[in-house]
Amino acid sequence: MLLTFRLAYRNLFRNTRRTVLTCLLISCSLAALMLVDGLIIGMLKVMVDTTTKTFAGEAQVHRQGFLDSFDSDLYMSDTKSIEAVLAADKRVAGYSVRTVTGGMISSANNMTGGLIYGVSADREAGVSRLKEAIIKGKYFTGNETEILIGEDMADLLEVKLGDRLVATLAEVDGGDLSQALFRLSGIFRFGMREIDKGLVFIPLDKSREILGMQDGGHEVAIQFFDATDAANPDLPLFQKLSDGDIEAVGWPDFFPQIQAMVEMVDYATLIVGIVLFLLASFGVINSMFMSIYERIYEFGVVKAIGTQPKQLVQLILMEALVLGLFSVILGLLLGGLSSYYFSIHGMAIGEFEFEGINLADRIKTELTFAQFINFPIYVLLLTIAASIYPARFAARIIPSVALQRSL
Amino acid sequence: MDTVIKTTNLCRYFGAEDVEVKALDNINLAIQKGEFSAIIGPSGSGKTTLLHLIGGLDNPTSGEVELSGINIAQMSGTTLSNFRRDHIGFIFQSYNLIPVLSAEENIEYIMLLQGVSQEERKSRVQDILETVGLAGLGDRRPAHLSGGQQQRVAVARAMVSEPDIILADEPTANLDSTTGIGLLEMMRELNEQRRMTFVFSTHDQKIMDRANRLIDLRDGKIDNDSRA
Repeated sequence: MLLTFRLAYRNLFRNTRRTVLTCLLISCSLAALMLVDGLIIGMLKVMVDTTTKTFAGEAQVHRQGFLDSFDSDLYMSDTKSIEAVLAADKRVAGYSVRTVTGGMISSANNMTGGLIYGVSADREAGVSRLKEAIIKGKYFTGNETEILIGEDMADLLEVKLGDRLVATLAEVDGGDLSQALFRLSGIFRFGMREIDKGLVFIPLDKSREILGMQDGGHEVAIQFFDATDAANPDLPLFQKLSDGDIEAVGWPDFFPQIQAMVEMVDYATLIVGIVLFLLASFGVINSMFMSIYERIYEFGVVKAIGTQPKQLVQLILMEALVLGLFSVILGLLLGGLSSYYFSIHGMAIGEFEFEGINLADRIKTELTFAQFINFPIYVLLLTIAASIYPARFAARIIPSVALQRSL
Repeated sequence: MDTVIKTTNLCRYFGAEDVEVKALDNINLAIQKGEFSAIIGPSGSGKTTLLHLIGGLDNPTSGEVELSGINIAQMSGTTLSNFRRDHIGFIFQSYNLIPVLSAEENIEYIMLLQGVSQEERKSRVQDILETVGLAGLGDRRPAHLSGGQQQRVAVARAMVSEPDIILADEPTANLDSTTGIGLLEMMRELNEQRRMTFVFSTHDQKIMDRANRLIDLRDGKIDNDSRA
C-alpha cells in the first residue's frame, strides 16, 4: 500500500501543470459551492429573521382554524397555562399573548378597517419590533386609552398624536358591536405596507375588556433563542402546547411562502452543486485519461510483469484520492477564507424585497458544519468515483497491444 | 533435460477472415531448461508475437503453450497475471522501468506483488544490484541512469523474482555495441551460473553469436531451428 501511495503521489506530479490545473478546478468548485451555500443560507436567515422578528414571531399558538379565518370567536379562553409552559422552557426567548380581531377605526375626518391587536406592552417588546418601529409619539406607557397605528393609516385618517380615535369591533361569542375611545399615542413604521396601513395596536387588557374574553387571547407569538427550533415540527414544546383544538406551529406553517422559498433554494443549491461537481468530475476524468494515455506502454509493462488488473485500479484510485486530498485542502482554504470574509463583511446584493419587506442589501454568509465536513467528503468521493471509469480502462489494457504501441 | 517451454500447433491470426494475417502458423517448439535461445528472423516474421504468446501477454488463435507443464493458452485475468509474476521475467527493448520509482524500487516492485517480506526484498535487491554491477546506484531514478544501466536494472527486475524463464524482446536494440556486449555477457553468465532459461527475440548478431540455439522464423513459420 505504501508503494502504491508513493507511486500514485509521484505519478500525479509527473505533469505538475496538469495536476495543479485539475486541482484548482476541483478546489474552486468546492470553494464556490461552500460560498454559494453560505450565501443562500445567509439570505434565508435574513429572510426568515426579517419576517418572523418583525411581528409574527417564530412560532405561534392558537385555536385550530384561526389562521385560516381570523374568526374572533376562535380564541383560547385560558392563556395562563400556555404562558406557564412557555415561561418554563429554556429554549423560549420571549412570548406575547395577543387578541386579534377585525374592526373599524374612525377619526374625526375619516374611517378605515383594520386588524386590531391587543398586546401586552412588555411581552410584545420581547417578540416583535413594534417598540422599535415607533417613529412618532411613544410606545405603550400603561394608559389603557393608548393606541398605536401605522404611518399610512395615520395619513388616511388624517390624525396626529393626541387625536381621538374610536375603535368599533365585535365582541366574541355574542357578536354585539362594541366601541371604545382612544387617543393616538404613537405612530409606527415597519416598512411593510400591509402592516403600516392595516394594523392597530391597543393594550391587551383593554382589548380583552372590549371583546369580553377575560384572560383569553387569539394567539401567542413566540421567539426562540435558536431560530431553528421553530422550524422543527417535532419540537417537544409544540407537542406539549398542542392540546385539543389548540395548536402550536412554527413559521413554516404560517409563512408557507418562505418555506417554499427555503425548499426552492435547497433545490437551487443542489443544482448548483450538481453542475459544479459535474464540471469537476469531467475535469478529473479528462485529466486521468490524459495521464493514462501517456502511460499506456508503461501499464502494458507493469501488467506484463504481473500486476493484476485490480492492482492497477487501486493505483489509479489512489492517484485520484491523493489528487482529491490536495484539492479538498486547497478548496477548504479558498472556500473557508472567502466564506469567513463574507460572513464578517457581507456581500453586496443590491436591493432585495421579499413579501413586501426590504431585506438587507448586504448578505452575510453563514458557515455551517456541512460546508466544512460533508462537502469535502462529497468532493473526495466524487473525485474517486470519477476515476473509476479511467481506472477500469487502465485495468483492461491488453499488455501485448500496449507494448506494440511503441514498437 | 526438462522442457520449460512447449508450444503445440500454435497459431495466431490477426484481422477478419478476408484480410486475415497469419502472424504465427502452426508453431511446434520445445525449449529446455537452461537454454540461451534466440528467435530470429526479418521484421514481420512473428518473433515478437511468439514471445508474447510464450509470455502469456496474448492469447493464441489456436494451439497450446505449456510453461513448465502448465497450459497457459486458456488462462486469463488474475490467474495469468499471477503466473507471469511468478514464472516469467520480461526484458523489453526500451528498458521500460517505472520512471517515478528509483532503480531499487523498480526491482522491488515485482517482489511487492509477490508479497515478499520487506527484509527479504531489501536483501535481494542489494544482491541483484551487485550482480548486475549497479551497487551504489539503487537510489537513482531511471532518468539519472544511462541506457545500459537502465537495461541492467530491467534485467535485475526480470531476475529478482527468480522466474523459470526470462523473455527478452530486442534487449540490446537501444544500446551501443560495447554496452550491448557487456549486458549480453552478464546475461550469459547468469544463464550459466543459475541455469536460467533465456529466450530472445532479436536481429542482433551479437546475441546470435552467443545463443546456443537459433530459431529462425519466416512468415510465421519455423524456417530453421539450429543448436550451436
